Amino acid sequence: MSSRLRALLSCIAAAFTAASGTAASAAPLNVAVLENAPPMAYRDESGQLTGFSVEIARAVCAEMAAECTFRTMMLGHVIDALAGGEIDIAAASLLDTPERRQRILFARPYFRSVTLWFARPGVQPGAPGVRVAAVKGSAQEAYARRQGWTTIAVPTNGELGAPLIGGIAQAALIPMNTSIALLKNPEFVRLGLDSTVMKAAELIGAASFGISPRRPELKEAVDSALERIERNGIYERINSRFLPFRVR
Amino acid sequence: MSQTPPPPMTAHRIFVMLAAGFMVLLGGITALLAIDQHRAMVSAEQLQAQTVPEIIRLQRLARNLDHLRHEGERIFSATTPDARQQALYLVMLVASHPGIQEHAEAAEVARATEAFLTEAVRRSGGEAGVDGSRLNEWKLISGRLGLLVDDISVQSAHLAANDLAQISETLRVARIKLAAALLLVIAFLAGTIHQLSRHLIRPLERIDHALSSLDVNGPPPEFPPTQLPEIHAVENAVRRLHAAQVNNEAVRRELEELANRDGLTGLLNRRHFMASAEAELKRAERYGRPVVVALADLDFFKSLNDTHGHAAGDRVLQAFAQLMRDSVRSTDLIGRYGGEEFAFLFPESGVEQASALVERFRHRFATEPVHLDNGVAVRVTVSIGLADASGRPLEVALHAADQALYAAKRGGRNRVMVAGSEE
Repeated sequence: MSSRLRALLSCIAAAFTAASGTAASAAPLNVAVLENAPPMAYRDESGQLTGFSVEIARAVCAEMAAECTFRTMMLGHVIDALAGGEIDIAAASLLDTPERRQRILFARPYFRSVTLWFARPGVQPGAPGVRVAAVKGSAQEAYARRQGWTTIAVPTNGELGAPLIGGIAQAALIPMNTSIALLKNPEFVRLGLDSTVMKAAELIGAASFGISPRRPELKEAVDSALERIERNGIYERINSRFLPFRVR
Repeated sequence: MSQTPPPPMTAHRIFVMLAAGFMVLLGGITALLAIDQHRAMVSAEQLQAQTVPEIIRLQRLARNLDHLRHEGERIFSATTPDARQQALYLVMLVASHPGIQEHAEAAEVARATEAFLTEAVRRSGGEAGVDGSRLNEWKLISGRLGLLVDDISVQSAHLAANDLAQISETLRVARIKLAAALLLVIAFLAGTIHQLSRHLIRPLERIDHALSSLDVNGPPPEFPPTQLPEIHAVENAVRRLHAAQVNNEAVRRELEELANRDGLTGLLNRRHFMASAEAELKRAERYGRPVVVALADLDFFKSLNDTHGHAAGDRVLQAFAQLMRDSVRSTDLIGRYGGEEFAFLFPESGVEQASALVERFRHRFATEPVHLDNGVAVRVTVSIGLADASGRPLEVALHAADQALYAAKRGGRNRVMVAGSEE
């Protein structure tokens, strides 16, 4: 091989390396997911993160052809982390409330939810002396505080049953999907709790991923990816895998 | 107050109007097709943006209603109160889900299902199974759920069918419009070609024919009435060309006459006589016909001029020429040969016949006085030499006639001499 040809080839190789280097240097997206929130986000037997929200987030990343770095986070930190740009996307079911809307961007809703009041028979919402369990930083917790109820905040959805089982709380505000997982816990079932769907508008409706206001360009890409996975059937498969009925 | 007449329909105006008409027609067709295309695109976009998501939503609704039925069946088949409670809980969740609540009929059926199943579970209490007597009622509710699932499934399928029907209807109408537009264009072009042929091409063909067959001896070209002023102008030009040609021909003939005739006597001049005689001799030789030439010279013409003046000489020459013209046949040639000398050619004549003719002629001239302008009458005689020109060159024949003339002069003048007989 002549030295001139070798030089040319090395130039081409360098150009390719530079080009692929540029593509790789596009920073991966920081995606926060909740932990211990079955069936939305949890670790399977092998310790891998999975769940409805996690798998939807994976599908969205694949659809966007973006590299995503997943990290777990408590719901109570999610809004601050988004607002501060610590994370780009929060792949958690965030109900759209005015307080949140002031601080973060919402992606296109990926399912619709209701909130349930779980309590011993006869214990009505707002009854005096009733302590209500809710996840810290959740719309349910904010609602209960606004109502002036005494709240017991737990860090994860998976721990919502504990205050009731332990007798610390007499009631809990539980998101629809979390309640399905809790009802598989015999200890929880044994409490013989009554459940009622909450009528408050801010506790019913669309749940969305949160997007950092510092990455507004991500919203269109995430929305479009969500729309595509709804059309191409990926969404339905994930729905069937984690939830007993259609939640969109 | 005179009213302005409408501008004439010129070819230029017609072409501008045709082009404008065609552009309007084409523009209109293009606009129509663009509208149809836009409509089809809007329908297709609606199918993509609205109908497909709506179909997916209805399918999810149908699945959830089916799930209600499934959980109901589970309540009836469950053997433990806990299993029934679990199933009932899912019934409640599905029935209260916004996806079902936003559909009025589904919400109503779901509420009824939830109420019935809640009541059935409540009555069963801690029993192993639900009261079998409620099974029939459940079958009715379950059937109602099933029918609603069917209706919603069919409805979702129809959504796409409606959009597709709209698109295909738009395309069908567009096809009809396209066909109609094509017919319109063909009709327009056919009409244009017909009008062009009628008002432009055929008149041009007539003009071409008239030009190629223009004849100065024929009548002026005739054209049928035409509407286009341009064509009319060309036709008038063709008529003017014909008139000019006729005029030129007349002038040419006049000039030819002037060139070939002697100005004083009106007879052929020497040059033209020689050319005509040459041609006549050739013709006679070709057909073996007899021909005779003669030369005549006025006697004592110089003394006439000296006595009475040149005007008198001219008058005598004119009188002589007039007499000759009156006496000869139209086929005979007479020319002024020079001064007071004249030349003749008698086709189809033998020497005797011609000799008799010129003899009569000599005699008549000698006996009829010429009246001069001053009232004096003079008598002038003529000597004539005659020669047979059959089969001889003109110069030879004329030389022979000249010899005969010389002999006539010598013999005393006022006589006719035939070449070969003068000795």
